[in-house]
Amino acid sequence: MQIRDYVLRRLMVLPILIIGTSLIVFTLTRIGGSPIGIYLSHEMTQDEVAEIEERYGLDQPLPVQYLTWAGGMITGDWGWSGVAAAPVRQVFPNKLGATLELAVAAGVVAVALGIGLGTYGGSRRDRLPDHLTRVFSISGAAMPIFWFGILLLIVFWVGLGWAPIGRSNSNLFQSIAHPTGLYTVDALLAGNWSAFVDAVWHLLLPAVTLGFGTTAIITRMMRSSLVETLSEEYVDAARAKGLPEKLVLRRHARRNALIPTVTVIGLSFGFLLQGTVVVEIIFRWPGLGRWMADAVLRGDQATIMAYVMFTSVLFLMVNLVVDVTYAYLDRRVVLGA
Amino acid sequence: MAVDTAAGRSSRTLSGSLGTRLRRFGEISREVLRNPTTLIGLLLIVGMVAMALFAPLLIEPNTPNPYQMPRDWGALNEPPGTPGHILGTTQQGGDVLYGVIWGARTSLRLSLIVVSVTVVIGLIVGSLAGFVGGKVDELLMRLVDVFLSIPELIFALAIAAVLGPSFGNIILALAAVFWVKYARIIRGQVIHIKQNEYVDAARVIGDSKLRIYMKDVLPNSITPVVVQATLDMGNVVLIGATLSFIGLAEAGLAEWGVLVSQGQAGISAGRWWASTFPGLMVFLWALAFNLLGDGFRDILDPRTESKR
Amino acid sequence: MRRRIDRTRSFWAILLALAMVVAACTGTDTSDTTAGGTETTAGEETTETTGTTEAPDEGTDTTAAPSDGAVSNPDTFVHAADDEPTSLDPAQVEAGEGGETVILQVFDRLVEFSPEGPDLVPGLAEEVPSDDNGLISENGLTYTFMIREGVVDHLGNAVDATDVKYSWDRVLTMDLPESNAGVLAENISATEAPDPQTFVVTLNQPNAAFLNSVVTLAVASIVSEEAVEANGGIVAGEPNEFMATSPVGTGPYVFVEWNRGENLLFEINQDYWGTPANLDLRIEIVPDPDVRVLGIRAGDYDTIETDPSFVGDIEGAEGVTIFQGEFLLEPIHIAFNLNFPPDQIPADDTISADFFYDPLIRQAFNFAFDYEAFVNGALGGFGAPTPFYLPQGVLGYSEDLPVYSQDLAMAEQLFTEAGVWDEGFTVSVIAEQGNLFEIAALVLKDSLEGLNPNFSVNVLAVAEAQFDEAHASDPLPYAMWVKNADPFADPHAFLHEYMNPDGNWGQVHGFRNGYQEPDQIAEMIDEASVITDPDEREAIYQELASILYEDPMWIIAGNEVAVMAHRDWVQGFVMNPLWPRPSLKFALFDKG
Repeated sequence: MQIRDYVLRRLMVLPILIIGTSLIVFTLTRIGGSPIGIYLSHEMTQDEVAEIEERYGLDQPLPVQYLTWAGGMITGDWGWSGVAAAPVRQVFPNKLGATLELAVAAGVVAVALGIGLGTYGGSRRDRLPDHLTRVFSISGAAMPIFWFGILLLIVFWVGLGWAPIGRSNSNLFQSIAHPTGLYTVDALLAGNWSAFVDAVWHLLLPAVTLGFGTTAIITRMMRSSLVETLSEEYVDAARAKGLPEKLVLRRHARRNALIPTVTVIGLSFGFLLQGTVVVEIIFRWPGLGRWMADAVLRGDQATIMAYVMFTSVLFLMVNLVVDVTYAYLDRRVVLGA
Repeated sequence: MAVDTAAGRSSRTLSGSLGTRLRRFGEISREVLRNPTTLIGLLLIVGMVAMALFAPLLIEPNTPNPYQMPRDWGALNEPPGTPGHILGTTQQGGDVLYGVIWGARTSLRLSLIVVSVTVVIGLIVGSLAGFVGGKVDELLMRLVDVFLSIPELIFALAIAAVLGPSFGNIILALAAVFWVKYARIIRGQVIHIKQNEYVDAARVIGDSKLRIYMKDVLPNSITPVVVQATLDMGNVVLIGATLSFIGLAEAGLAEWGVLVSQGQAGISAGRWWASTFPGLMVFLWALAFNLLGDGFRDILDPRTESKR
Repeated sequence: MRRRIDRTRSFWAILLALAMVVAACTGTDTSDTTAGGTETTAGEETTETTGTTEAPDEGTDTTAAPSDGAVSNPDTFVHAADDEPTSLDPAQVEAGEGGETVILQVFDRLVEFSPEGPDLVPGLAEEVPSDDNGLISENGLTYTFMIREGVVDHLGNAVDATDVKYSWDRVLTMDLPESNAGVLAENISATEAPDPQTFVVTLNQPNAAFLNSVVTLAVASIVSEEAVEANGGIVAGEPNEFMATSPVGTGPYVFVEWNRGENLLFEINQDYWGTPANLDLRIEIVPDPDVRVLGIRAGDYDTIETDPSFVGDIEGAEGVTIFQGEFLLEPIHIAFNLNFPPDQIPADDTISADFFYDPLIRQAFNFAFDYEAFVNGALGGFGAPTPFYLPQGVLGYSEDLPVYSQDLAMAEQLFTEAGVWDEGFTVSVIAEQGNLFEIAALVLKDSLEGLNPNFSVNVLAVAEAQFDEAHASDPLPYAMWVKNADPFADPHAFLHEYMNPDGNWGQVHGFRNGYQEPDQIAEMIDEASVITDPDEREAIYQELASILYEDPMWIIAGNEVAVMAHRDWVQGFVMNPLWPRPSLKFALFDKG
């Protein structure tokens, strides 16, 4: 079908999925758990509890609560976070900036290493480098991120004394302005080299940890796509023409191998997103994932709901973009070559 | 995007007569044993499952509940090599080796329960959607889509969070999240079969839907389901351990994720053992099932064969 | 062929563009209103450990502590707290939570605890009312406070007795459920400010503990009428956002800024009526204990919230001193519920509704508990068992008071006498997850299950929110729970709250079902509360202690010792557990 029709159909389904997700999320927090618990102090009388209930609208019938919450999500009132002791909407941007920076850094690491390693292994098929990269890529998918992060901490932080935890040195951090909320970018914009180095230094271990699994997936995809493409006829034809191997690799094989890789890169987004929860706990990174973990442990339903909705919507949209891109590329490949 | 399984496209099925099936099974087993990575996976699995099954013989079970870590308030934070605690103790005096061994048992329980339950649910939902079709199919697949729109870990996290910290709730949360893939596989198979010519022929002969189901849908589905189930045996433990690590399991449970989490506090003081060994087990478990599952996929799915 | 490259490139271009757009949206400034006009920054958590850290078992110490002995941050005192305040408003702050220490620094009260102990010293009042100076009426119902002259708030407005009356009335009018307003409401019947330097309070009934258990509390802090009226005024039942996030008081520190998740900044009040502070103040929010430990070793922090269980990791660190003070006044207790609804407790529990009526059983539990394991396991050795609600530091305490210690033979004997030894029982105990309450519950579990395999204790370690909700229920749907007591300066407050059959817990837990002589206990507690002579009171409390020992309504797992790690360069260090956690008044410190 036309690409345009496909995109339109997906876009039309999107709101239904979002509403469906919101219903599930809302129902979850009301059937189990105690949405009011986070707002109580441990020595309150029943009357006081009732007052708190009223303040947060928890005495309303459930459908009303849902509509109030859903409406609030759209208009910008995302509730009160017990964990942060502030409105969710107020705290969100900073934490988002921290997580985004981490995820992007991890993605950069994963993409660079993945494509590089995959090409390296795929082009030396079935020889030692190939086997090594294959082992690496399989172990990457099975690697528990929380363990890998702790291992890195033990080796690099405690053992060797390199790389700090947390996001930054507080003095350096406070010395620059923060227009974007991304420490690295802000440091560059401020022209503050030591702040930039500080930012990257703090990003290193968490980004490698977070990106490890994705690196492995991309390596594997890249490698197998490359191998498959290298055996295609037209590559043989190019070789027959007498083109040097390197040129064959660069011009033909890699291009076609990129298509499934692009898909995987989009999909890895989901893994990166989920990995942030654990990585932020281990490296004391002040982002969304850590906030969600605290919210989960302390029963802060407002934060949980906002986080799940946000990540789901993001996930949906990224998947949409990936699917559309894939369909676009795929169609042309079928028609073009 | 079903990049993960080969639903509906596998022709290396286990359909046919019993004799054919047994022969196929023999062939597959041989191929599994021949491939080095798959073999390693299988050996690891055998080793860990044996450890799980023989746990009470390997190490004295804790009373009254062997799935609880033993606590020894007089032997806190002992390093590995201490007499009686070859892998050291935790900050509550629990023997790390006990945690490793009984944690395997816990993981086996977890993965078996979750995978069996999710396969059954997925079977039911997928068959319903495929056979009944129409509005029911639409509705169920929308539900599947909604479930898929929430990232797995986050969904499981939210469910376990609202239910409360306990092992049973982690099982529930994982089951609620993992069933969707099977539903899709089965539904895909059902639809594929429905469209297939020789089913029309069978219907002409008068075969009931149930017979078609038993004779064609199920055997054809076994392959992708087996691949997915094998992978899930690993992934369930991986995500389950992550949930426990975050703090959603009950206090003092002999479970790898719980132990890694507890051991974190000691890291800055140089106490590495309480986190490292249990975490290694999670890795090996997930690795083993991934190796085997990938091996199955390579062997059973002709599409990927060309890559070898 | 060329077209394909362009497509892939454009995909990446789009992705990059998206990333920049999202980045632009996240760059909003979220710091709160600043009262002091310093630069606002986006509120980020910036705790970190500087480069080199070394495991203590390795001989060399390569911490990045300033090797030349130079003091870090010479003009600012930096304290690392473990949690973030919820509200900075005296009329809203919850008893025992992080905001109370901020209120301690930023506000004054009429009288205060002296740094040395439970003695009271004047605050905004010129003299501490007593029988001798006649500022307490004969019948003990009226207290008169002479307010200092020339006190100004941080904005320059004059503060006098009318502000005092305003402050207290405000608390009672707002009556926020999470606040400590209940304490004021219980005691006070009227407030008056007949002239600008005189403030008079009339009580509902005489209370010998009024000064040290009510007037010194954070909720009784004096706010500035002008400042509040200019920023939202008083609205019954509603929080005041201004005061909750940027308080204005009369104390030695002026609030400057609150960077959520990061820190709170304060500067010296140059116009303070008392001795001004020496240094500016920064309270860093550092929830992770090891980050605090590494921070103090590196010199980034001057004091840190110190968890007794990791003191061992700091001991011996260069430049750091471990201060060990008095006992905290927050005994950790495990409750017996004599009033639980049998159909609401966890399904596994096999005990009947009258299980804890029998004092033999309650005594047996007390003998079974492994106090040593708890003190060593949870408190890292920094604590001790304690008599019932007369902790060391409180009037009535003496070394001779009866204290339970583990005696398994006794426990077995009592359980047998009570008739439950052979059959056994299963009971659940609920506690907050991940802290020493969970450990106390686990120790209880191990103690009982180790004693008799037929005894089974299920530990329900739940999220704080769930615990608080259960805890606030009446009747409480669990047979046992673990928490610490709220700290009080006066024995009456403890005994009334936790032991009096007509007190709060007495009613919720149905003490009258279990006490052998409930009326006697109630009478003795009430009697002691109105007597002003400390020796007479002490005698009554000590008699009470013996009675309560025989008829225990709690297991007191232990009492923590106040422990705090601080840098060597901190001068004038002093801690008073009667001040809200971390029990420090930063205005008293200097560095050098």
